Amino acid sequence: MRIETCYFCSSKIYPGHGIQFVRNDCKIFKFCRSKCHAAFKKKKNPRKVKWTKAYRKTVGKELAIDPSFEFEKRRHLPIKYSRDTYTKAIEAMKKVETIRQKRQGAYIMQRLRKGRELEQERDVKEVQRDLALIRSPAAGLKERQGQQMAEDYKESESENEDQMEGIVEDGGEVIL
Amino acid sequence: MVYKRKSYSAGDTNLNKKYKTKRRVKDLDQIDEDLQEKNAPKLLNQEVDFDKPGNAQFYCIHCARYFINNQALQEHFGTKVHKRRLKALQDEPYTVEDSERAAGQGSWKQPAKRKIETQPSTENQPKKLKNAT
Repeated sequence: MRIETCYFCSSKIYPGHGIQFVRNDCKIFKFCRSKCHAAFKKKKNPRKVKWTKAYRKTVGKELAIDPSFEFEKRRHLPIKYSRDTYTKAIEAMKKVETIRQKRQGAYIMQRLRKGRELEQERDVKEVQRDLALIRSPAAGLKERQGQQMAEDYKESESENEDQMEGIVEDGGEVIL
Repeated sequence: MVYKRKSYSAGDTNLNKKYKTKRRVKDLDQIDEDLQEKNAPKLLNQEVDFDKPGNAQFYCIHCARYFINNQALQEHFGTKVHKRRLKALQDEPYTVEDSERAAGQGSWKQPAKRKIETQPSTENQPKKLKNAT
């Protein structure tokens, strides 16, 4: 007995589950459930259907290339039994599995970190562009206008004084 | 492959019929095998078979379809169905080994992109088309 993999979604098929299709050229396709079988009958491409393992690996959502994947293999000949090798193998399997899960998790987190950076950049840009929504450009306009007017008034006064002095120096007629 | 974008309001009787194993047509990996150099000439130059459309003389190898005459075949090469099929064949076909690799037995291999072109038209094509090309 063997735990098979689904042709479409690459999940495990335990004994007594799923269905098998033998094409007229003797090729065998195994499916874990009717969902996968139906998709196969509709000639969907597993690489393009988003819920399959094949999609997640082609698009780079999951760790695809790693030496930790090289341990699990389909062996057609069972190794001659010796208690020593079997116990060692079982221990090694557990270790390999933990390492693999760690790497897969790290890969996904790294991928998400990139997204967060981009998100932050986008936020900064948006704030700079739409600053008018946060702080109105008209805010404090009256104050600024008042100050401007006061400055103008002062300037004009000083100018007037200069003119007056000039007139007085000339010694001409001054009508007030 | 082509995915459905229509609504099912008209019913799916015909679709269900199409997906019956009885009416199963060739898969992409089978067509990929047909395209190999050792198999292609046999399919393109078939013997006269009165049971097939056009006596099996006008065959589109990418779509695995027989046509009744050369004009129909040439017109088919210009259709969307054919072009879509060419594009679908660009990627290497998905295999059982690929599904195992995706499950974690061995590292994943990205499908190689290939250049797929329509088969060269046969000699006895009508004069009109010859002048046009």
